Amino acid sequence: MPDVNAIANRVAAATPPSLGRAVRGLSDRSIAWLFVAPTIILLLAINIFPLIWTIYLSFTNYASNRPNRAVVNVGLKWYQDILGSPEVWAAMQATAHFVFWTIFFQTLIGFTLAYLIDRKFRGHAFWTTIILIPMMLSPAVVGNFWKFLFQPQIGLFNYIVSFFTGIPPSSFEMLGSVTLAPWAIVIVDTWMWTPYVMLICLAGLRSIPDYIYEAAEVDRASKWRQFWSITLPMALPFIMLAVLFRGIENFKMFDMVVLLTGGGPGSTTELASITLKRQAFEAYRTGYSSAFAIILFVVIFGLANIYVKALNRVKQR
Amino acid sequence: MSGAVTTAHSVVEPSATSRRIAAFLVILYAVVTMVPLAWIFATAWKTPPDSISYPPKVVFDPSLEGYCNLFTTRTRQTDEYIEALGPPQGACDEVTRKREMVIAGPSNYLPRFVNSLIIAFGSTFLAVSLGVFSAYAFSRFKIPLADDLLFFILSTRMMPPIAVAIPIYLMYREIGLSDSALGMILLYTAVNVSLAVWLLKGFIDEIPREYEEAAMIDGYTRLQAFFKVVLPQAATGIAATAIFCLIFAWNEYAFAVLLTSGEAQTAPPFIPTIIGEGGMDWPAVGAGTTLFLIPIVVFTVLLRKHLLRGITFGAVRK
Amino acid sequence: MRPGQPARKRWPRWARRGLLENVAIGLIALGVLMLVQPVSITLYSYSFVTVLAGTLMFTIVSKFPE
Repeated sequence: MPDVNAIANRVAAATPPSLGRAVRGLSDRSIAWLFVAPTIILLLAINIFPLIWTIYLSFTNYASNRPNRAVVNVGLKWYQDILGSPEVWAAMQATAHFVFWTIFFQTLIGFTLAYLIDRKFRGHAFWTTIILIPMMLSPAVVGNFWKFLFQPQIGLFNYIVSFFTGIPPSSFEMLGSVTLAPWAIVIVDTWMWTPYVMLICLAGLRSIPDYIYEAAEVDRASKWRQFWSITLPMALPFIMLAVLFRGIENFKMFDMVVLLTGGGPGSTTELASITLKRQAFEAYRTGYSSAFAIILFVVIFGLANIYVKALNRVKQR
Repeated sequence: MSGAVTTAHSVVEPSATSRRIAAFLVILYAVVTMVPLAWIFATAWKTPPDSISYPPKVVFDPSLEGYCNLFTTRTRQTDEYIEALGPPQGACDEVTRKREMVIAGPSNYLPRFVNSLIIAFGSTFLAVSLGVFSAYAFSRFKIPLADDLLFFILSTRMMPPIAVAIPIYLMYREIGLSDSALGMILLYTAVNVSLAVWLLKGFIDEIPREYEEAAMIDGYTRLQAFFKVVLPQAATGIAATAIFCLIFAWNEYAFAVLLTSGEAQTAPPFIPTIIGEGGMDWPAVGAGTTLFLIPIVVFTVLLRKHLLRGITFGAVRK
Repeated sequence: MRPGQPARKRWPRWARRGLLENVAIGLIALGVLMLVQPVSITLYSYSFVTVLAGTLMFTIVSKFPE
């Protein structure tokens, strides 16, 4: 490569000798640290230092709207309060309802769509791209415009439901009713994130080599049998990956739901993150909400460990 | 049956009928899933009365009122006052006067949109710059505890934003970064750098080491080889990563609503606060939403080949 | 197991990484279920320590050899 040599010489000539020697002298080891250090320092400053601070605050009575009050150590009081509180327990159950049903519908619809797209009909790439659009949008803006669609009198959703079922469109309120609101947020989340599950399932289906099906055909296994003993088991690590990630994301869901229902009516759609936001930024119970934040941290951290294990399993394919 | 004629490969090819059924169902889903989006895009072109009419209007006279209301603030005036003003200046003035109002000034939408642009591009630039160095180091060198560091980097992204926001809010208040674009850029950089490192590591892993080694034999230093050989090879990956970071920062709401209130507020917390007389001004909300979402739709189409990588942190590459 | 690695041979069978990792994952999953179940508030109260124990255990045993 004569060109490269020429460039190297030109670079060497243009570099001041002392700097050139210093740069040339950098060992791979020091370059490695030089390259990693800025990222680690930023994350320490913006993530780890605040985390340690949160742990400290969770043992104190600090309130962010009264910064001059003497800070007293309260021990494990906040943790005991939260873990004995029926309200927080109810928020956890609301979260569980949301997480369970969104994962259920997204996996069901997402896998079915992936299976259909894998039939490779003409134009499938185009339609796949169209289907993917909702998951890239801003959850907050999505929550806001679905609120418009869910309006009881004028909303498109109620109109379409009444068009197909004959129920008068003003007889039910998706966001105002205690029984329907938890399902309204499930509908919107499913609309938005089914493409995510679909895309990962599609990768799973495409990772199954043709020869396995060919071997099954030779053995005269029925299509039904092939689906249950080849397709599903081999796509399962991918499905698990999608389920875990959606589970983690929806466990901490905030933006979309807060704009759709704001946690209401009552506290029927008050998910864990919304309770946390109310305690921290409306009631200014900083100590209490710090303890709550740590509890959520630990749960997410535990789930993230499992997620990375699932990622590595998929990577080996 | 033409079994004897079909090739060995066609054994696993789906039949024409099953393909047609699959195509029908997938296209049906795609069309249904686009209805809410199409509806909000259409609402932007309605007048406020049309937007809340029953039954919902599918056919309507397009009006600029939504876009006009999005960009202006208006005050109600008497007929005499409006008549004394002389002829209307431009389309928006005309629409506003029909409602017996005059334009009082620009709204906050444009500054919020510009904030979104500054913060999204600033944090993307920083996150990708930091990320590409770290990703290279993780890809090429033996770093002690590399797996733990990578997990640590990833786990920071998984944290619930509200939980992170509590100490950040206090910290920013102490050091004067509350409601500042710089504070938001640093925060989004920290969140995005984890994605950037993981994604870029995947892209750099795919560049053969032989390229750099050849360059180094020819007299390049390691750093020169990185800048002149690896970076150009990774250009596609860097662009895809940048778009992912951009979309995250563009879409983010939780940090934005808690940590910014005026100066540095981005568009997502602003759009839900657009109200007209007697409730939400849905055409203006629709217009704001349309302008905000169109870039993302375009990016999604551009990114379609890399989406899978992006959402699995580079683990699944097809 | 490759020859020439006596250190690994001495590692007890029950303490292999794969098995203990699965126990830790089970513990985390159990803790999350306890956190969200609607049946008993006592189980809810002990959910956090269960998740914490599982997470710590996972972090430690992931350093063990296969």
